Amino acid sequence: MNHRSETMTVVSPRNLKLFVTGDAPRSKRARANLAEALERIGLDPDAVPEIDLSADPVQTLTFGIFATPALLRTSEAGDTEVLYGDLSERRALERFLALG
Amino acid sequence: MTEAAEGLAKRATGIRGLDQMTRGGLPAAGGTLILGRPASGKTVLAMQILAQAIARGEGAIFVSFEESRRQVLRDAASFSWWHHLHDEQRFELIDARPAPGSRVSGEFDLEGLLAAIGFCVERTGAHWLVFDGIDQLLRRQQDALMAADQIHGLSNWCEERDLSLILTGKLSEHSLAPTHLEGIEFLLPSVFILSTTLVSNQLSRRFRIAKYRGSAHTTDEVAMLLDDDGVHFPYAIRPTAAAGPAPNERISTGIRRLDEVLEGGFYRGSTSLISGQPGTAKTTLSGSVAAAAAARGERTLFISFDEQQATVVRNLASVGISLGEPIASGLIQFHAREAWNGLIEAHYHALQQLIDGFEPDCLIIDPISALLKADGADSAQVAIERVLSTTRARGITTLLTSLGTQIDPTSEATLSHASTLADTWLVLGYNVRGGERNRSLSVVKSRGSAHSDQVRELILARQGIDLAEVYEYGTEVLMGTARMQKESEEAINRRLKRLEDNQRQRALKQRIEQTEAEAERLRLELQAHEEERSAREQSARRHEREVMSRRTPSAKGGDDDQHRTPEQPPPKGAA
Repeated sequence: MNHRSETMTVVSPRNLKLFVTGDAPRSKRARANLAEALERIGLDPDAVPEIDLSADPVQTLTFGIFATPALLRTSEAGDTEVLYGDLSERRALERFLALG
Repeated sequence: MTEAAEGLAKRATGIRGLDQMTRGGLPAAGGTLILGRPASGKTVLAMQILAQAIARGEGAIFVSFEESRRQVLRDAASFSWWHHLHDEQRFELIDARPAPGSRVSGEFDLEGLLAAIGFCVERTGAHWLVFDGIDQLLRRQQDALMAADQIHGLSNWCEERDLSLILTGKLSEHSLAPTHLEGIEFLLPSVFILSTTLVSNQLSRRFRIAKYRGSAHTTDEVAMLLDDDGVHFPYAIRPTAAAGPAPNERISTGIRRLDEVLEGGFYRGSTSLISGQPGTAKTTLSGSVAAAAAARGERTLFISFDEQQATVVRNLASVGISLGEPIASGLIQFHAREAWNGLIEAHYHALQQLIDGFEPDCLIIDPISALLKADGADSAQVAIERVLSTTRARGITTLLTSLGTQIDPTSEATLSHASTLADTWLVLGYNVRGGERNRSLSVVKSRGSAHSDQVRELILARQGIDLAEVYEYGTEVLMGTARMQKESEEAINRRLKRLEDNQRQRALKQRIEQTEAEAERLRLELQAHEEERSAREQSARRHEREVMSRRTPSAKGGDDDQHRTPEQPPPKGAA
């Protein structure tokens, strides 16, 4: 794990946003999967802001996130990428967190 | 929202043909799947339903998974109803395209989107929700069953909120199942299939209701048209049946002798067919009927498949028929169409639109046989029958012309059936005799009239159109010069006869005068004779008295009887 963090460039948690819908099963799984992955690379899961679209639906329109759960990554230049799903595919999530 | 007899609540789409086929509209709560291949009109149909709803004051939400907001509005801008989609109070357009470069890790759902839509429903008061191209999102779902499950959940979500949901989806190449969303056609209460075919290089769109659970509906596949007003289903609208008895009123054809042959003209509201070869004056007769209608103050819709308005007006003016003025005053509306430039269903739809818009008393289609040249998945005969159903139902007096062949000018009967449908059928032709070609007219049939079967000569002159008197010569009817020669002979004969009559009259009068003079002479002679006889008798009586008086000497105081003449009465009391 530490080896990974030493050799890969990973995203900063402050550049991530997790979009969920309350405690829906997929949202709960996404939360857990993301936390696990971040911990694996030595990042603090609590540093990732979470947006509950069921509580604040306007954010859906603001961010253009129409499938949930979704993990939004914003680059320093302002470009965004989205990973949809409950983040259960570990390799896809790790690639996303490792900037591609 | 309407409550159908069977209990399924429906919401009218505002698209007349669609509402007729669905017996009232789409499910008021639940989903309708519109499946079709590219360019079949799925998105336009969905957008138009929303635009009509907004026009009625209902709210609507359009969620696009394929095109940007700008693209959607740009596409809609080519239709007459586009401005309704700019009503921000009642309409929300959500660009829900997946983010570029987005990836998937595991299962996802539409909960976030539904939360946003719930927010928009409250804001706009929406009753309609369209998901356009949701397969673009759900195809990323690794499990197809999961995608179908989410559609089911979406439909239920709409049902709980009394929302009419429309989903558009792409049709698989070789089946009637949606691409990427296999099985959802079984989950939704209604499914529409849009298809396209090329007919003589022209795109023909078709529409069919594949299922409509809990509702009676039209199962036929019908033509779907797209024009500036959007989607139309011309064959879905059934003309209402004519009410009441057929009118007995006759209306003039504008040709006095033809009116006489038809016992007063065409019946109002009837259908007439004029057939004949090219140049036999079909258009001219049509023009006469239109001008006569205008003279009565009636409105005529003149559809020309052969010629432009200016040409027709000019040509008719040369035979004394003026259409320019009634066209200018609006009593005649002239429309030129090209049969090749459109499918049968497009022509039919255009005719219906013109009839609806102008509400004519009289309809002329010159020639209806041109429709046979138009391509289409549906037959021209069906289109013609439908037009005539409409005109009959509305009491529109209809005149069709049809191009016949030289071999058999009545052959169009087998082509268009128009002659079967027509109440009156006039056949125009040429009579070639003695180096001349003369136009002829005959009445093949005229329902409700005792008409002559004789072929008559149709005369076109600067003063107008006329039918010549029938001049029979053996088994033939004389026309042209032969007729004129016959007319001339008859005129001479009539004159000679008149002279003979006059001479005889004079001779008889003379004889009467002579006879009357002779009678007068004889009367005088008789009178003279009687006077002579009377004088003779008086003289005789006198002579007798003298003789008697001489025979009897004077007898004074003697017997009176002896002195009485035979004429003298006896004295009183002597009897």
